[in-house]
Amino acid sequence: MLLVEDLHKSFEDFTAVDGANLQVRQGDLVAVIGPNGAGKTTLFNLITGHLKADRGRIRFRDQDITRQAAHVICRKGIARSFQIANIFHRLSVFRNVQVSVLAQKKLSRTLFRPAQTLVVEETNRILQSVGLQNKNLDVAGSLSHGDKRILEIAIALGNEPELLILDEPTAGMSPEETASTMELVKRLAREQGLTILFCEHDMDVVFNVATSIMVMQHGRTIIQGTPENVRRNTTVQEAYLGGG
Amino acid sequence: MESYVTFSGLISQFLVGLSRAMILFIVSSGLSFILGVLRVPNVAHGSLYMIGAFTAHTLAVAAGGGVAGFWLAMVFAPIAVALISLVAERLLFCHLYEREHLMLLLFTFALALILGDLTKITWGADYRSLVAPPFLQGSVPVLGTPFPKYNLFLLAVGPVAAVGLWLFSNKTKIGKIARAAAVDREMVGAIGINVSWVFALAFVLGCFLAGLGGALVSPTVSITLGMDHTIIIEAFLIVTIGGLGNMWGALAGSLIFGISQSIGVLLWPQFAIVFPYLAVVVILTLKPSGLLKSVW
Amino acid sequence: MTRSLILSRSSLWWSAALLTLLLLVPLWGSRFTIYILAVIFVTALLAMSLNLLVGHGGIYQFHHAAFYGVGAYTAGLIAAKTSWPVWIGFCAGPFMAAAAGWVIGLFCVRLTKLYFGMLQISLGSLIWIVALRWYSLTAGDDGIHGIRMPEVLAGSVNIYYFLLAVVTGCVLIMFLIYKSPFGVTLRAIRDNPQRCEAVGINVRQHQLLAIIIGTFFAGVAGVLFVVLEGSIFPDMLFWVLSLEVLIMCLLGGWFTFFGPVVGAAIMVTLRTFVGSVTEYWTMILGIVLILLIFFLPEGIMGINFREWGRRRSRRAAARAAENADAAG
Repeated sequence: MLLVEDLHKSFEDFTAVDGANLQVRQGDLVAVIGPNGAGKTTLFNLITGHLKADRGRIRFRDQDITRQAAHVICRKGIARSFQIANIFHRLSVFRNVQVSVLAQKKLSRTLFRPAQTLVVEETNRILQSVGLQNKNLDVAGSLSHGDKRILEIAIALGNEPELLILDEPTAGMSPEETASTMELVKRLAREQGLTILFCEHDMDVVFNVATSIMVMQHGRTIIQGTPENVRRNTTVQEAYLGGG
Repeated sequence: MESYVTFSGLISQFLVGLSRAMILFIVSSGLSFILGVLRVPNVAHGSLYMIGAFTAHTLAVAAGGGVAGFWLAMVFAPIAVALISLVAERLLFCHLYEREHLMLLLFTFALALILGDLTKITWGADYRSLVAPPFLQGSVPVLGTPFPKYNLFLLAVGPVAAVGLWLFSNKTKIGKIARAAAVDREMVGAIGINVSWVFALAFVLGCFLAGLGGALVSPTVSITLGMDHTIIIEAFLIVTIGGLGNMWGALAGSLIFGISQSIGVLLWPQFAIVFPYLAVVVILTLKPSGLLKSVW
Repeated sequence: MTRSLILSRSSLWWSAALLTLLLLVPLWGSRFTIYILAVIFVTALLAMSLNLLVGHGGIYQFHHAAFYGVGAYTAGLIAAKTSWPVWIGFCAGPFMAAAAGWVIGLFCVRLTKLYFGMLQISLGSLIWIVALRWYSLTAGDDGIHGIRMPEVLAGSVNIYYFLLAVVTGCVLIMFLIYKSPFGVTLRAIRDNPQRCEAVGINVRQHQLLAIIIGTFFAGVAGVLFVVLEGSIFPDMLFWVLSLEVLIMCLLGGWFTFFGPVVGAAIMVTLRTFVGSVTEYWTMILGIVLILLIFFLPEGIMGINFREWGRRRSRRAAARAAENADAAG
């Protein structure tokens, strides 16, 4: 479904991604792990078009999407959440999700129809599926941190993505919130047939949830394989798992 | 109207433009400095320039004119302007740095409104003009055409100001901190530097340059209310075409602005003022983010 | 839950009452009252068109008056320099303003925030220079006065009703846009442009569309100014006016729809009365502005809005609890 080949990206005097390879198949739950500064977020930004790669190729569903604009890539079916809660602070929860549904339905340039009559059902269904339906009129900026992160995922779902990219979906969450969020991610993958690519620091979470794991270090892909294979890999053990 | 352009006429017009560019550079480098560090387009910049000119006139007259009065005015008028900006900064502006840029912009506008009326109250609506000291009066021949001595003086002051500003921002510790704050203010705060004072310093220095420009320009123009309005637009255009916050950009912009205007006088006198604006349009069409790299 | 009503019932009543009141003013109001109200209409439309961009779009449109001026100069020059029907000028004004907004916007949307604003104020000033310096066409600093008007628009009462009708129509259209998917998307872009790109919104394209709409209505306001005053002059496109209009938006409340109207009404009234007492009106404006920045950054309507928002969310919570009960 998604194929990243030998991707490179450097900023002025610092190489963030230096030969990343990644393969995501339909229905996979792929985790990217690696120490801080290994280039995980940069890799995601390159895939979603928020950064432009220097070298290498990104293919999605047999189309080359390397260096395309973010909103174009999104339209092809890749949605994402961000590491910091990246929501529309002054809008209500309902509106937050509605904006993305409207964009998906190509309605966001409609000038003379009241927004409150449009895509209401779709929006409510998404809110329902993530469990925010009771907070739909709250101002997004006033939500708790955990709810903001969930709202982020809900916004991404508004795009009806085939591939959902989550950048540390549980960062800053309590253990209980982390568990319930990962449950949600698993359930979304199962019920809506989503393919999910995420990165995460908590190794228990990763090895519990992921069907495939890619390990990065210094911007380079060390290995990608099933959790079992990755766990057995000696390089990974030395570089990462063993050290922890 | 003479239909041909002589070479010596071209040279002297070029020099006039160059000296005009020096004033523009001093004013717009101050604006650019504030933009770079504080990220605020200082709308009050023009008002401070005007106050610089009025203060210079008052000081020179109070000192009985002459050479001493002139130097007194050139030194203390910018300092007076810097003091005004320091008061405004410490009293009010420093409480707003966390706010949105739009609020900061509107604050500087409020300052411009108040300073404009204070100027009116203090100096009235009359025209004034400052007489240059004897050694800067008259003209010297340059390539066969007479060239005002005062403009030669400006041609000397401009590079001194540029080098001074460069030395300050690249060679002194505080200048380096200010430049670092322009790029990444969180980091500067993190290494234990009081960012608030860095901002204050940048603001006061920028305003000082506005006052210096006003003082320097005072012997060449009639000093009047409303001189703030034209300079601020010119300075805005200059820093925009030069690249926001980039000192060399301000220099390049000033040269383009000053020289294109003076050459325009030669080619099409009625529309001379339009030439720099045409230059601006051309540059921004080609490079909307300015000639040189912006600091952010 | 029905969502068909765009306006809640109480706001509908308030608007109807206000409109009726304004319709009745010429029956008892003095010429002066009528004139001041007319000035408020024009200014309010200008402020609303700006707030559509700044308050709702987060677009740093620093020099909005340039487009107000383009609208006014188009209408004024066609009336003064050609023998065409005046109405042609009236109709052309907004479109010329929108065209100018489009061209300048094309440059500016490539940049963001402050850079956008600096470029915008610079390019807008170019229009001002043209109006100031093209003496043979615009009469420069003097401006053009005593512009001819169609007979229908003779007398202050007729002008008053004409302005009221046009402004009401424009406000209605802007309100529809505010409530439309485009309006919602625009506010989302204000809050978080990066996120908008990530959900597939072409941010620049939306901003450009907003600019075209905003400058169009600024052009309408410009035409209405010509109708009211019969003159055009370069100060109409000077940056000082742009920032004054920005103050109106701030005063009334950035994030509300009707805030700029309140702001414009207060500013025009203040200027009229304070300006007649002292010649230092601008200083007082500056002081008021500083007080606003420090103590009322969300504007007058902003206070009400917050209160109202709190009440609404409380009501929503109550409703949600009821639903949950019913479901359980």
